[in-house]
Amino acid sequence: MNLESLISAQLDGVITPEQHAQLEGLLRHDWQARRIYLEMADQHSRLLQQMELNAGRMDAAVTPQRRWLQVATFFVPLAVTLLGVALWPRGSVIEEGTADGVATLSTTLDAQFADGSSLRSGDTLAPGIVRLKKGLAQVEFFSGASALVEGDAEIEIISAWEARCLRGRVRLHVPPAAKGFVMHAPDVKLEDLGTEFALNVRDGASRVHVFDGEVIAHTSDRAPSSLTRGMSFTSRSDEPAVSPEEFLAISDLTAQTSQIKASRHAAWRKWAGSQQADPRLVARYLFERHPDDRWDRLVANDAEPQQRSRAGGAVGARWTEGRWPGKQALEFKRPGDRVRLLIDGHFTAITFACWVKVDSVDKNYNALLLTDGYDNGEPHWQIYEDGSLMFSITYRPDGVASGGSWNQKYFSKPVFRADSLGRWHHIAVSYDSQSGEVVHYFDGHEVGREVSKLHRPGRAIVFGPCELGNWGLPTTGHQFPIRNLNGAIDEFAIYSSVLGPAEVRSIYEPGRAE
Amino acid sequence: MHDSSPQQAEQLVLLLTQHQESLFRYIFSLVPCEADARDVLQETSVALYRKCDQYDATRPFLPWAYRFAYLQVQKHREQSARAPLLFSEDVMDLLASERKHLESHLNERLQVLDGCLQKLSVQDKELVTRRYALRDSAETMMQRFGMSRRTLFRNLELLRARLHDCVTRQLQLPRLS
Repeated sequence: MNLESLISAQLDGVITPEQHAQLEGLLRHDWQARRIYLEMADQHSRLLQQMELNAGRMDAAVTPQRRWLQVATFFVPLAVTLLGVALWPRGSVIEEGTADGVATLSTTLDAQFADGSSLRSGDTLAPGIVRLKKGLAQVEFFSGASALVEGDAEIEIISAWEARCLRGRVRLHVPPAAKGFVMHAPDVKLEDLGTEFALNVRDGASRVHVFDGEVIAHTSDRAPSSLTRGMSFTSRSDEPAVSPEEFLAISDLTAQTSQIKASRHAAWRKWAGSQQADPRLVARYLFERHPDDRWDRLVANDAEPQQRSRAGGAVGARWTEGRWPGKQALEFKRPGDRVRLLIDGHFTAITFACWVKVDSVDKNYNALLLTDGYDNGEPHWQIYEDGSLMFSITYRPDGVASGGSWNQKYFSKPVFRADSLGRWHHIAVSYDSQSGEVVHYFDGHEVGREVSKLHRPGRAIVFGPCELGNWGLPTTGHQFPIRNLNGAIDEFAIYSSVLGPAEVRSIYEPGRAE
Repeated sequence: MHDSSPQQAEQLVLLLTQHQESLFRYIFSLVPCEADARDVLQETSVALYRKCDQYDATRPFLPWAYRFAYLQVQKHREQSARAPLLFSEDVMDLLASERKHLESHLNERLQVLDGCLQKLSVQDKELVTRRYALRDSAETMMQRFGMSRRTLFRNLELLRARLHDCVTRQLQLPRLS
């Protein structure tokens, strides 16, 4: 049975266990199948819900039977139980922000996009036109096809399965899973049967060369022709023949980007060395695996003068690749993963600055830096469930054991969303105990500034035992004790004063992954 | 935590009713059986109601509610672990996470679905009404339309495919012009 029949059988409740297993197999392995399933299931549930509200709205002359009203008012009894009020939605679809991408921009090299577009590698691309003025860009379609685009070029992304080259040079790789990917070009439509080919569109004429596999070229005036390895095609007969040398090899992009990454890593290392003795540094962790540490658990504090007592100890968290190849980071995945710290002293102001890759915001609170417990003057820095940065500090008056509201909470706008997950970002927060002002930063930009109503000037900030990526000693009976970060950290600095926007930006710039 | 105030409870019931269709659609994509999905929706609503003091009104409601719904779906899966026709956890995970990315696309599709329903043939319209509005049983429909079981389900499949294609085409229209 094909996918559509399996889905339909599932929706009608007549699927057999064998068919169900077959459907599940397709859904497990095929992105496109999942999409069709989700669309069909959604259509079905809309019909189930809408038709009961609008029974009789269809033109077909059928009188609805009363018994179905019981289903229509399914939800009302609950509302009645809860409040004694019967409410019913009058049906508009409320849209919430979600990503509608069909491809990602995976790698770029000296890429400059037109229209002041600030596309960066890792960005999700929605259907639309991408204008690359110069440099190279690799676009990976969600179908599995990937395109290496050379500027100056103009590409229209139509869907995960379809694109159009309006101008410029593109090299396309289509793995078996993306067989059937269609590339449009002037006067020709190229249907890819699992292969690698290149396309050069100049002055409205298309020139194609197949490196491997098979492509079907559809034109308006000729029968579809099959192009196989080594074959070329020109949409106009007066065009010169195509040579493979016209097209860039993907290995060139890979080699050049890894060279660039290595030089960025080196430049960052040099910058980091120059900042080591900043007197405002309370501690700084660069997450560089220590060659002499046989236990492999040391998270060294590299701030000068050396304060070994402020070195961190990794628990559970594993070393992984950081912003660049050859740069390490610690990965936090399991509920036990953490880095233990002991920070002594009293402070009047603090700034945290951190390079983090968040894979998922999957808990109500996702730890960045939390002190054990939550006593007076102890800062907590976390990612809230909606993807915003959250800084909080509490001061409970003496003699008050519980109750009342003493927790100063500061949220940024949401920054970790579908399109910012899974890549490196710089986040920072500053808190001034005099002014009470908290400023949040994301990738060098301010994303929140606030003073809490609960603020009283001059109360000290303290740490004591604390953790990166987890909450070491949850407050007794707290509803959300599990707070481990799902992601990785590759730089974390604690300063004993407020760093302003320009300074935060000066940390962000040299540390950018690309 | 403090106990929820009547205002919070009232606000939650309003939000629940307003978003109930979206919640049902989310649950149904993971538990594609109407009766089960309704049960899970009920349980999710109760769970949300119990935790309504945790809801921050300045944040979007649905992502918060989906998390509860997902937990209830898992609970339902565990309770009916021996029923073979439920998706396994890895497939549910994939579906749940991809659905989040597709949500605006799915909402867009639903907006043109009504237009496509109106374009159906009279026979198809009656099939929609019987199947979805009146919830006729397969036997009733077989009798009414004088069809074999096989033909009935085949027709339902074709109906779904026609609606799906129509929606897809409608969404592509502006691009072609």
